[in-house]
Amino acid sequence: MYNLVNLKDKTILITGASSGIGQAIAELLDKLEARVILVARREDKLREVLDGLNNQSSCYYVADLSKLDGIEELIKGIIAEQGALDGFVHSAGIGSSRPLKTIKPNILQEVMSINFSSFVEICRCISIKKRYAESGCSIVGISSIASCQGNASKTAYSASKAAMDAAVRCMAKELSVKGFRVNTVMPGWIETAIYEQHMQNTKGSADVEAVRARQYLGVGKPVDVATLVAFLLSDAARLITGASLDVTGGGA
Amino acid sequence: MSEREKLALLEDMLELDEGELSAEMKLEDVLQFDSMARLSLIVLFEDEFGKKIVGKDIDGFDTIGDILAKMEE
Ligand SMILES: NC(=O)c1ccc[n+]([C@@H]2O[C@H](COP(=O)([O-])OP(=O)(O)OC[C@H]3O[C@@H](n4cnc5c(N)ncnc54)[C@H](OP(=O)(O)O)[C@@H]3O)[C@@H](O)[C@H]2O)c1
Repeated sequence: MYNLVNLKDKTILITGASSGIGQAIAELLDKLEARVILVARREDKLREVLDGLNNQSSCYYVADLSKLDGIEELIKGIIAEQGALDGFVHSAGIGSSRPLKTIKPNILQEVMSINFSSFVEICRCISIKKRYAESGCSIVGISSIASCQGNASKTAYSASKAAMDAAVRCMAKELSVKGFRVNTVMPGWIETAIYEQHMQNTKGSADVEAVRARQYLGVGKPVDVATLVAFLLSDAARLITGASLDVTGGGA
Repeated sequence: MSEREKLALLEDMLELDEGELSAEMKLEDVLQFDSMARLSLIVLFEDEFGKKIVGKDIDGFDTIGDILAKMEE
């Protein structure tokens, strides 16, 4: 049977794989017979996700990616043990909501570190010869439609995601000679812990309601993001690079 | 931290003048207590008291005094 999104035996690194969108990506790629390497901080959750997967050679690594200085060792170790990568998905991130007057430099740095800097650092570490597959490598960052919107309390978050979108355009060009494709996916509201918490915390906000109402196909499920990620990882997307594609049910 | 100091934190957060808030005031009577204030309160607990509160906790606050009590917990 013809399989448009063929990821059989591809080795894909997924950060933020312990819950939400990252977990859904791991589960979908597993169904597509890829081998996934899961990364996040909560080992119990990583183990749970791994236990639900079929591919016996999938595995997890516990790491706090906000500690940027430790990333190079982590990636070197993963590749030494698991081999070169065919793909990398960065779903690790925090959904910071803070009024501007509370975004002190340390807070801005915290959001940028995990949402943006760790992404670039991992890309840097895997873009070195022998760390990526000879046939090339596809990178997908989980950005957010917030990167294109102006929403109250979202200065740090939206800027971190816009930085990611800008970075992939540059890396796509620079790494094209090595056979890399680099893209982001920009989800709108997706039903995960981040979403539930935000809705609770901002109850009654006309601003938040307006954004949600604009997403006229409704709030998405993590798998809605995972399907686009799987497509971008596959050769079916071989002409797509430097792009930021939205999954927003009309809300873009 | 004294009650007055805690009230001052809330006044500062809501950009009210000193002395405008009292423990007996009901939250629904504080006009500035909108959704941005809810986020600001969550952040204030985190930054000033190292405590994590969520929207549900705020729904349970009836008066300013309830917020002050939570700060002490
Ligand atoms: N849900 C939405 O509506 C929505 C919309 C647009 C974009 N997004 C983006 O989608 C991505 C995934 O979010 P989600 O909705 O799936 O929320 P989530 O369930 O909270 O997932 C966040 C993931 O990031 C990991 N993570 C956070 N800080 C980390 C750190 N310092 N080191 C390593 N891993 C870390 C978490 O794992 P540990 O806690 O185990 O470390 C978790 O697996 C985020 O980048 C978010 O901004 C979400």
